[in-house]
Order: sequence, then C-alpha cells, then structure tokens
Amino acid sequence: MTEMKSRGFLRDNGLSLVFGALFVATLVGQAISGTADFNAQQIAEGLEPVSFAEYVTSSSFGVDVMENWQSEYLQFFLFIYATVWLVQLGSTESKKPGEEGKETDKEQKVGRHADEDSPEWAKVGGWRTALFSRSLGTLMAVLFVLTWVASSVAGWAAYNSEQLSRREDPVTWPAYLAEADFWNRSFQNWQSEMLAVGSMAVFSVYLRHRGSSESKPVGVAHAQTGQSG
Amino acid sequence: MGRAARFRRSAAVAAAAAAVLGGCASTQQPEVERVATAFEDPAGDPETRCDLLTPAALSALEEQASQPCDEAIEDLPLEGGEVESVEVWGGDAQVRLSGDTLFLAETSTGWRVAAAACQPNGEAPYDCEVEP
Repeated sequence: MTEMKSRGFLRDNGLSLVFGALFVATLVGQAISGTADFNAQQIAEGLEPVSFAEYVTSSSFGVDVMENWQSEYLQFFLFIYATVWLVQLGSTESKKPGEEGKETDKEQKVGRHADEDSPEWAKVGGWRTALFSRSLGTLMAVLFVLTWVASSVAGWAAYNSEQLSRREDPVTWPAYLAEADFWNRSFQNWQSEMLAVGSMAVFSVYLRHRGSSESKPVGVAHAQTGQSG
Repeated sequence: MGRAARFRRSAAVAAAAAAVLGGCASTQQPEVERVATAFEDPAGDPETRCDLLTPAALSALEEQASQPCDEAIEDLPLEGGEVESVEVWGGDAQVRLSGDTLFLAETSTGWRVAAAACQPNGEAPYDCEVEP
C-alpha cells in the first residue's frame, strides 16, 4: 500500500488536536463549575467561599480529576489486554474468531520479519523488542496504577476535610483504602468504563456510521469481524 | 544523573505530589496551633478570644448563652492544656489539647475556631458545647 503524502501538520493530526483541545476545554469547564459547586456548599455550611486558584489546588478538585483519569486508563489497559485473547464476532473492536492470541512473529513483523520502515525496536530483538511489543498495554497499566494511587491520596485528603467539617476524626491512608467513599468512587467510575467498552463492542456489530474508523463500512455484513472505515 | 540522585529526585517529586494532592497542610500547622491555644487560654483577653471564633460559632454562642461572647466565654468548659495532636486537611483542622478538642476552619481573616469544648461520641460526630 502506498504511503499517503503528509497533508500538513493540522490535517495529519486533526484527531489528536481536536481531542486535546476538547480535553483542555472540558477540564476548564470542570474547574469553573466545581468552584461554583464547592462554594455553594461552603456558604450552606456557614463558611467562606474560596477563589478559583484555591479550588483547583485543593484535594477536592484533585480527587474529582484523578478518579476519572484512573478509570479511563483502567478501561484501556483491560481492553488492550482483553482483545489479545477475547473476540466479539462482527465487532470492529475485535480480531476475527480464530485469531486469538499473540500471533506469529511473521504476522507481527517482528525481528527478522520486520520491514525497512518498521520501528527500530521491532527489528532489534531481545528485551527491546519484548518491551516494545507490550509497550501500549504496559503504559496504560502504569498510568492506571499511578492515577489510582493519586486519586486515593487526593480522595483521602478530601475525605478527611469533610470528616473534620462534620466534627469527626480524620483517618489514616490505609484506613481510607477500606472506606466506602474510596470504593464507591472507584466502582462508580469503573462501571461506566466497562459499559462503554461493552456497548461499543456490541453496537459496532449491528450499527454503522459511514466514514468513521469506529464503524464497519455500511454495506459490510454483521458477521464480518474487525473491518472498519 | 546517578541512580541515587534519580531516586532522590523521584522521591521529592512523589512527596511534592502528595503535598499538593493533600492540600499542603503542614505549613498551616503552627498557625492552627496558635489560634487554638490562644482561644483556650483562660488568662487571655475575652474579646481577643471571641475574635478567634468563626462568625457562625460566635452568634450561636451568644444566642445560646443570651449574653455577649466576652461574658459567656468565661463560663465555658474550655480546659485547654498542652497540644497533643494537630490535623489540618484543606480548610479544616482539629486540635487535640490535653483538656479539650477543637475544630477550626480557614476564613479570609485566617484560622478561626468553628467548634470547641468537644467530646468524642463513639462513631457519631463529636458533641461540642460551642458550635453553630
């Protein structure tokens, strides 16, 4: 297949740029609405409102951001690993039945089967190829662990602040990990991620969206797996 | 960068992250202690001590006692004592003295006592004589 010529930085990277901008815009939106919501609670408790800068550096904002990030990375980590071994007949999110597993080096263009334009670490073999072969899933797993720990620390601080405002004793971090607050936050985020993946896996079997990389071509059969565009 | 230096830098980054995520509490501790001990000091000027209450706690005290704070404060069971522990989380704090437990809140004019003469109450919130 011939390589398309680059059509300029913006067109070649439109997807990342648009979603990067949307991420920034929605994070700012969360910060603004979060400040307003926090201050409404402050006033209701007879306390003073805080500034925008104070809110975005608070554990309350920190936990609200981190608890969402950790579940996104968990979703991708699980999805990447699961799609090695599990299939969904007819889905664009799946390999074809019979292709389960890590596939052959030839199919994966690894080591001596690599092309001229294969990434360097796909060609060299040894630990570099082994690591590169798992780099996507590994990064998602690492980011999940880091953001989950961060959300537990921020959640612990936010929880203790609420404890004190309710005239109750604060708890240690290990005690917080056993608290319903931590697991409630974790599970409520996780359930939506699993729903999203499951929904896409199933919907993409039977429904189409012409031109999207997430959809099979409109006229392709329901039972056809793994095709997109 | 050597391994030891890299480890120290990672540890410092982790500590900084924990401090930011936790709301930078440790820098507030001396001020929280000062306010709590000044409020509980029986030799302190009553008006100064009353200024250390949050507006909500002040008006609740005056309403409950049916007298101005600087008179009511003399009758309160504020035993004071040595500082045993200080917990600061965001804009809330708890100070345990040998004779009393207080809860404080951060206001635009600094830390103020939100509840005092508090007794533990099992799993339930502390039972406080002075509170909104």
